[in-house]
Amino acid sequence: MSHCLNIDVQGEQLWLLGDKALYWPARRVMLVADVHIGKAAAFRAQHLPVPRGTTQSTLQRLDRLLTSYPCEELIVLGDFLHARTGRAAATLERVRQWREQHARLKITLIRGNHDLHAGDPPEGLRIDVLDGPLLLGPFALQHEPEPHATHLVLAGHVHPVYVLRGRARQRLRLPCFVIGERLGLLPAFGDFTGGWAVQPQPGERVYLTADAQVWPVKP
Amino acid sequence: MRKPSDLAGPWFATRGWKPFAFQKRVWAAVARGESGLLHASTGAGKTYALWLAALQHLHAQDTPRAKHPAPLQVLWITPMRALAADTARALQAPLDALQIHWSLGVRSGDTSSAERARQSRRMPSALITTPESLTLLLTRDAAQSEFASLRLVVVDEWHELLGNKRGVQLQLALARLRRWHPGLIVWGISATLGNLEHARDVLLPEGGCLVQGRQDKRIEVDTLLPEAIERFPWAGHMGLKMLAQVRDEVARSSSCLVFTNTRAQAELWYQALLEARPDWAGIIALHHASLARETRNWVEQSLKQGQLKAVVCTSSLDLGVDFLPVERVLQIGSAKGMARLMQRAGRSGHAPGRPSRVTLVPTHSLELVEAAAAREAVAARQIEARRSPALCMDVLVQHLVSMALGVGFRPAQLLEEVRSTWAYRHLRDEQWQWALEFVHNGGASLGAYPDYHRVIEAPDGVWRVANARLARRHRMGIGTIVSDASIQLKFWSKGGGGRNLGSVEEAFVARLRPGDAFLFAGRTLELVRIDNMTAYVRRSTARKPAVPRWNGGRMPLSSELARAVVEQLDSAAHGRYHGPAMQAVKPLLELQRRWSVIPTHDMLLAETWTSRQGCHLFLYPFAGRTTHLGLASLLAWRYSRSQPASFSIAVNDYGLELLCPGEVPWAAMLPDLLSPDELLEDVLASLNAGEMAMRRFREIAQISGLVFGGYPGSHKSTRQIQASSGLFFEVFRQHDAGNLLLGQARDEVLNAELEIDRLAQVLSRLGGLRLHLQPLARPGPLAFPLLVEGMRETLSTEKLADRIARMVADLEKAASRER
Repeated sequence: MSHCLNIDVQGEQLWLLGDKALYWPARRVMLVADVHIGKAAAFRAQHLPVPRGTTQSTLQRLDRLLTSYPCEELIVLGDFLHARTGRAAATLERVRQWREQHARLKITLIRGNHDLHAGDPPEGLRIDVLDGPLLLGPFALQHEPEPHATHLVLAGHVHPVYVLRGRARQRLRLPCFVIGERLGLLPAFGDFTGGWAVQPQPGERVYLTADAQVWPVKP
Repeated sequence: MRKPSDLAGPWFATRGWKPFAFQKRVWAAVARGESGLLHASTGAGKTYALWLAALQHLHAQDTPRAKHPAPLQVLWITPMRALAADTARALQAPLDALQIHWSLGVRSGDTSSAERARQSRRMPSALITTPESLTLLLTRDAAQSEFASLRLVVVDEWHELLGNKRGVQLQLALARLRRWHPGLIVWGISATLGNLEHARDVLLPEGGCLVQGRQDKRIEVDTLLPEAIERFPWAGHMGLKMLAQVRDEVARSSSCLVFTNTRAQAELWYQALLEARPDWAGIIALHHASLARETRNWVEQSLKQGQLKAVVCTSSLDLGVDFLPVERVLQIGSAKGMARLMQRAGRSGHAPGRPSRVTLVPTHSLELVEAAAAREAVAARQIEARRSPALCMDVLVQHLVSMALGVGFRPAQLLEEVRSTWAYRHLRDEQWQWALEFVHNGGASLGAYPDYHRVIEAPDGVWRVANARLARRHRMGIGTIVSDASIQLKFWSKGGGGRNLGSVEEAFVARLRPGDAFLFAGRTLELVRIDNMTAYVRRSTARKPAVPRWNGGRMPLSSELARAVVEQLDSAAHGRYHGPAMQAVKPLLELQRRWSVIPTHDMLLAETWTSRQGCHLFLYPFAGRTTHLGLASLLAWRYSRSQPASFSIAVNDYGLELLCPGEVPWAAMLPDLLSPDELLEDVLASLNAGEMAMRRFREIAQISGLVFGGYPGSHKSTRQIQASSGLFFEVFRQHDAGNLLLGQARDEVLNAELEIDRLAQVLSRLGGLRLHLQPLARPGPLAFPLLVEGMRETLSTEKLADRIARMVADLEKAASRER
């Protein structure tokens, strides 16, 4: 148990962070997936009364990560914005302020299915947007976990959670990383996101995240 | 003009009937313009008491031979839309016989759009409808003029609505009708309840009379005894061990109803009976609320015409117009309460003077004790009370938006109307303000969001719904008070869907993959694909199909029945086994005596046991599952104040189990943990550590319109605004902790799930009992069903990180054992 766990994937050192992000120290790159900014606003636009504060706390967690680890680039593996109706003025203003605090950071967004619907982030945010896969070192960075012919895929989209069972019939659902030989899945980063229970296959390793800590599990 | 009594007398005479005294009393009361509540056992002519009163009193006042039938005079409200068609047939008969120029219409979720359009042009003289459809009718622009000539409202089967939120919705609708018609006559028809005055006061806040119908119905109760007694009763199975005996009983009677407690159980029993007697195909049928309308209609009709030998059913056939040919009723498993058992018994021998006969079929050995207890309680006519919920904020929020449709509302006037109902008579000003704020701008936490509005206030002071799309979505949601998100089932055919089969819960379908087989409507089906909120299926020959589970239906044992069970056990503890059911269960109880003790009425039994899973406590208060859940949470919470701990909780109607991975010195602590002091504070605190409030929030989120089920046929466009109620719950808890819907979830857990009043009573009763602590060498017959119970609650006060670390370590240990 720790805030950060160092693993070796294809000869590269990757740090799995309890804050649901992946740090690649050799490249000074922070990877997150499924941020879903503006999801609560999208609900409100449809007259569903979701409280404020989820976007704020998601961005605060990103702040904390970017100041704790030396980063030159933030790569978002898709679903940065949740929906077109979630592009509320107040929400986008908050993102703009956040961007200003990290003015020198390069940000890359690999489009996810929600981004296709929501549209690209406003120009002023200076986010490079591209369709996956983005090949970087031994990795293919993309949104959906489609296999890649030559590279190990790092993807999001699934919002993986693992159901942990213990003695005395204890049971917990926790967001997790799933790292296999051809595919690595990142947990959803956003605060207002649900999850999909995964069944790890042979050869896949699961790392639980909760309370800003990370635990390896032997399935 | 004919005198009122001229009408009913001859009609009764032509059928060879004589009016009963109570029918005459109702006719006289309606003639005087009085409201009231009529109660009687089933099959006693209650429908005609009210309907002929309406015809006599109201028809006598119209001018005969008018060109059109009379305008809307009577609203007949029925709790289930399945009953509407039946009711219509029953009401039509005297109209035809007496040549009364009245039209009759049905308005429910099943009414065709052509019929709706006809009703919009001209309302029928009498309209049969459900609480949801009534609310919808009230939201129409022309509602006030459409209801202008209304004279009488009859609420059929009021006991079915009284205790739930649909009843609250109806209370609000009646308040609106009473504002339009201050002298409106309102009558309720109810089965016998333990608290009839309350039933009347809720329906008729302005007062009314109570009329008792005929009660002379004799009820015979017997029990099918299993051939062999299992000494380790496992409540998880469906009772199919009794199949051969049930088959023989069905074969022996000309027509019977086989009641089960859940839809899944009904599906399994129907299938099993068919396999046991393939020659019964076509003469036995299945009936439950998730089957398609047409299927249910066919079953009901065939039953009435005496064409069916047996129908396997759920509470969907508890109610309704008489099924005359039914000779006897079999009840699979516990009926959980006296009122329900007697209602079901009353489905047989429906003609006046004939006895009702119900046969109890225990699904596990301990239910034999319950059967013996039920038999005595029926003889003593111990019937439960039902109480109306109060101050439901979710129903109020929904009602505000409903009333903002159509012509809109003025807050001051609507507040007066809302407060005239029983459920909201103590509504405080700040609660009302909160509800208004909530529909206006989503409450305090949303204040700064100009993009959010459901209802807006026009310059003239009238509040209306913001736009047409929102209005449409709200209308779709009004019917969701009781139902979970459900998905339609249709046969797959090329180029479009085939025949509609019914509906299952989305959560069940979500677990299936194409090709998986499951049991539905008595068929084995295979999932082909899911599209637009519809699951397409085809027939399958798979051997081991899954059975859908529907939520709900886990009724607690009533206090009346529980008390009767303890009396039976007490006798057994003293070596007295009365009657064949108790004789049959004797080996099990004697084993309990050898390994532990048999609980008596002056003792509280607590058994402790240590296994590889951890440390178990089994406690037997005999107070029903909901109270046990509250008690278990309370004990776990109080214990974990001294030391952080995690518990797994299982309950049944007899007792509870607390399971903890660590050592717990129960013997030393239990007396203090059972103290009735500071009960409310401790239960509230225990809620935050458990998951119950979150589960309760699911229903509240749906009613108040937080979770949107989606329009049929447009699944895609709503995907961006779908989230689970659990996610909502967490977001509210973190970012808007003062939200009243969260408060309501807590209150509902306290009142509905934990029954705080009953919990207080139980604790004070337990305080008077001698605590008997019994360490077990192995779990005995009473402990066993708790040990294997799969539905569990968790309560934890450990730090999340500590919990995960422990569980990961457990997993490591298990993995290294395997190697």
